[in-house]
Amino acid sequence: MIRLENITKVYKTKRGRHTVLDDVSFEVPLGTSMGIMGRNGAGKSTLLRIIGGAEMPTSGTVTRGSRVSFPIGFSGAFHGSLTGEENCRFAARIYGQEIHRVVRETRDFADIGEYFYNPVGTYSTGMRARLAFGLSMSIDFDVYLVDEVTAVGDRRFKKKCSAALKKRAEFGSLIVISHSVATLRQLCDKCAVLDQGKLTVYDTVDAANEVYAA
Amino acid sequence: MSLLRGLVVQSEVVHAIFMRETRTRFGQYRMGYLWAIADPAIVILTIAGFFALVKRAAPYGMDIYSFIATGIIPYKLFASSAQQVGESVNGNRALLFYPRVLPIDLALARGLFELATYGAVFVVLMGLHGLATQRLVVDEPLYVIAGLTLASLLGTATGLVFCAIGVMSRTADRARGPLLRPLFWISGIFFTVEALPVHVRPLAGLNPIIHCAELVRSGWFVSYEDTYVDTSYLLLWILGLSVVGLLLERRVRRKIEVA
Repeated sequence: MIRLENITKVYKTKRGRHTVLDDVSFEVPLGTSMGIMGRNGAGKSTLLRIIGGAEMPTSGTVTRGSRVSFPIGFSGAFHGSLTGEENCRFAARIYGQEIHRVVRETRDFADIGEYFYNPVGTYSTGMRARLAFGLSMSIDFDVYLVDEVTAVGDRRFKKKCSAALKKRAEFGSLIVISHSVATLRQLCDKCAVLDQGKLTVYDTVDAANEVYAA
Repeated sequence: MSLLRGLVVQSEVVHAIFMRETRTRFGQYRMGYLWAIADPAIVILTIAGFFALVKRAAPYGMDIYSFIATGIIPYKLFASSAQQVGESVNGNRALLFYPRVLPIDLALARGLFELATYGAVFVVLMGLHGLATQRLVVDEPLYVIAGLTLASLLGTATGLVFCAIGVMSRTADRARGPLLRPLFWISGIFFTVEALPVHVRPLAGLNPIIHCAELVRSGWFVSYEDTYVDTSYLLLWILGLSVVGLLLERRVRRKIEVA
């Protein structure tokens, strides 16, 4: 379960205070999934980092009743001069997981061949995303925070990602940022639209899309 | 999350960062560990050589090599900890991407890493000297360990303060080097407190680092005593700096931006 209460995030910029999130509240019980739509720069990724706990809100509280993943996106916190394998070992240690299992499962899922044993700095964007996605799937989380990750990779990899996420959504939760209505429809029950700091939750993806597209 | 569970998670995280640090710091080059040893060894040999050249002797009962080594290693341990812990958040910011990693974990891991590195450097350099001279006598090993540990704590606490200041202001961050550099000359690397004129001794003792060097030397040399060591004064510094550092961390915590 994830519950956000009156979350506000304000950044100080040279041109004054900029409110990214304005009094955002919602709850996602385990077993349900929510999509988030919004324009570029609307604050979707910031919201995801706050849900995960990597960043602190200016005010408000986040309650996490389960193991929440790091945001799964393009970049991840991979160290460029360490190999894919070494980065996996690090993440496995942080989350107290069995290192060999995490390394093996990530390698098999990411399916990037010998690159797995090369420095991440030599990877393409797509390969990085494959590694990040494989890594997050091999660590046992209840709630997965997905940031537009299904947009990368070839068709086969996309299919593999969707299948893996759907499986996780049965018992856990997904919170998915995406611009693709098809992806959201496939993965989520509810859907929210983030616009000018305000978040509105709709009961179906289509209802949200109608408002968002308008 | 219970306190015990929290401690387990934190130790897992600190351990992970520590292991990663060994790869990123020494793993990039061939014989990377050698540099950790070579750096202080070069300084010791240079100064010892200079002392020999100007025919200045080490204090009674000490050889020049051990005299300089017991001064420079506590100092380097302090300075390096302050420097590395001070940069821990700005240098490893990307790791905060993982929600489990907190700024304090980055600082603690680096502090421990410096202690482990310089502890090993001390053992290796003094061991090599022992082998070369066929003589190795340690008067009070616990004093030596205490001196090095306190130097590490003092450096880590100083680093915590630098770290918080560095997050608040990049400009203030630049003052770190100029603030630390003069300490090289007044921290007992080239002298013992006993060798100073009587009226200068209390003044020199204001510098907390000198107490670490004095502790290490009184523990290492049979002929040198801990007359000028004030452990409670040193602990007060460590406590004070830690409190200030942690309070500042609370203030800047919400300002750290990951991406």
